[in-house]
Amino acid sequence: MKNCEKFQNLIEKYLDGMIAEDELSELQKHTQGCPSCRAEFERGAFMEDAVKQAFSSDTSAEKAGASLVVRLPAEPDDKPLTRRPIVLFAGMRAAVAAGILFVTGLFLGFALDRNDEPPAVPFRVEVPISVGRIEGTVLVGHEGSNVWQPLDADSKVHLGDTFHSTTKSTCVLKLGDQSTLELHQNSMLVLETFNGETQFRLDHGELDAALESPHPPFYISTPHGRVEALGTEFTVKVTDK
Amino acid sequence: MKNTMTEQLKRTKTGDEQLVRAALRGETSAFGAIVERYWTMIVALALTKIGDSAEAEDIAQESFLKAYSQLHALRKPSRFAGWLSKIALQQCTNSIRRTVRCKTAFGCKAIPVEDLDLQSAQTNPPGLSESQIHFVRRTVGQMPEKFQQLIIMRFVAGLSAVQIAEKLGKRPGTIRVYLHRAYNILRKDLAPLFEEVES
Repeated sequence: MKNCEKFQNLIEKYLDGMIAEDELSELQKHTQGCPSCRAEFERGAFMEDAVKQAFSSDTSAEKAGASLVVRLPAEPDDKPLTRRPIVLFAGMRAAVAAGILFVTGLFLGFALDRNDEPPAVPFRVEVPISVGRIEGTVLVGHEGSNVWQPLDADSKVHLGDTFHSTTKSTCVLKLGDQSTLELHQNSMLVLETFNGETQFRLDHGELDAALESPHPPFYISTPHGRVEALGTEFTVKVTDK
Repeated sequence: MKNTMTEQLKRTKTGDEQLVRAALRGETSAFGAIVERYWTMIVALALTKIGDSAEAEDIAQESFLKAYSQLHALRKPSRFAGWLSKIALQQCTNSIRRTVRCKTAFGCKAIPVEDLDLQSAQTNPPGLSESQIHFVRRTVGQMPEKFQQLIIMRFVAGLSAVQIAEKLGKRPGTIRVYLHRAYNILRKDLAPLFEEVES
């Protein structure tokens, strides 16, 4: 029985694909005289064969490789730019050094002078706006990033975010109070700051605003001008015409 | 010249890392060697999710093309197989999602592996009957995903536990533990089939 323990381990090694040739012949020799180890070994080998057969491919690997190579472009996309060494002449070096010193000086002067004050626009400030109803696919892009992500009800809204509604898609943004903004299809809305306050900029498309009454001054800027809300419900539409 | 070199690389069982680097240099035939190496593994992985063999092969092709187009994004070429598997599983998910969205539309053909009984197996190698093949596919398809991948890499791609560990960036001990759990599940779930074949 103690001897069988060794062969049980060899069966596991066989299944792991890590059995040496001499160990395999030793195992095979043992299984000829040990029915329980033979049954265990046969079950293991059957399991391997069954999976291999059930998941085999109709197309041979050689054929698949050959047919895919024909479809490949000459080189993979998005090849990173090869960096060339930057060669500077003495005069240029001096100019670059002066430039670096100037910028560093400016930065230090600014930082020391404004040490007590928080930065005017901290990086990715969350704003008290939540996402309401969404229909279709609405994408959100964060400031400084060129990645678009699908907007969902749990998405956090940040200053600088851009909302882009695709065809037949709409979304509702709930402002801190009971006010809402509904972005129509094929529209682009950007959250930006204006005089330290969150403002909305409709780059193109259409939105419906329903504001709580009374409401503080509320503006929506567009490429053609800035709109001030006088009532509680209004629509802003930006077209190229 | 490039072709000759790649043939030589294939013959000498060159590592994935070197083949990936050759493909990045523009040697498409090096990528062909990669496809040959992992074709059966990727089709098998797709078959753990998709019931139709032809669809699984389409997904495998798409996965290789996507991997080629994003090859520069692969940070560790030695882990190509693990990275490719993730792409293939994502392609399967996308395919199933598309099917769910437009069930009645023309061209939506991905059949989840759970609905396998509805579809006849294209592949019918000697040894197992069509229904037995379905049974094995369903059994593997019901295992936890990480076990499915390991079982396919081990039994279909023929990689050893140590090679799998290298390709997935895990410790060999961890892979062996997972594999042994997977064997136990398979031993138990394939027992009726074993009895059937034995009798």
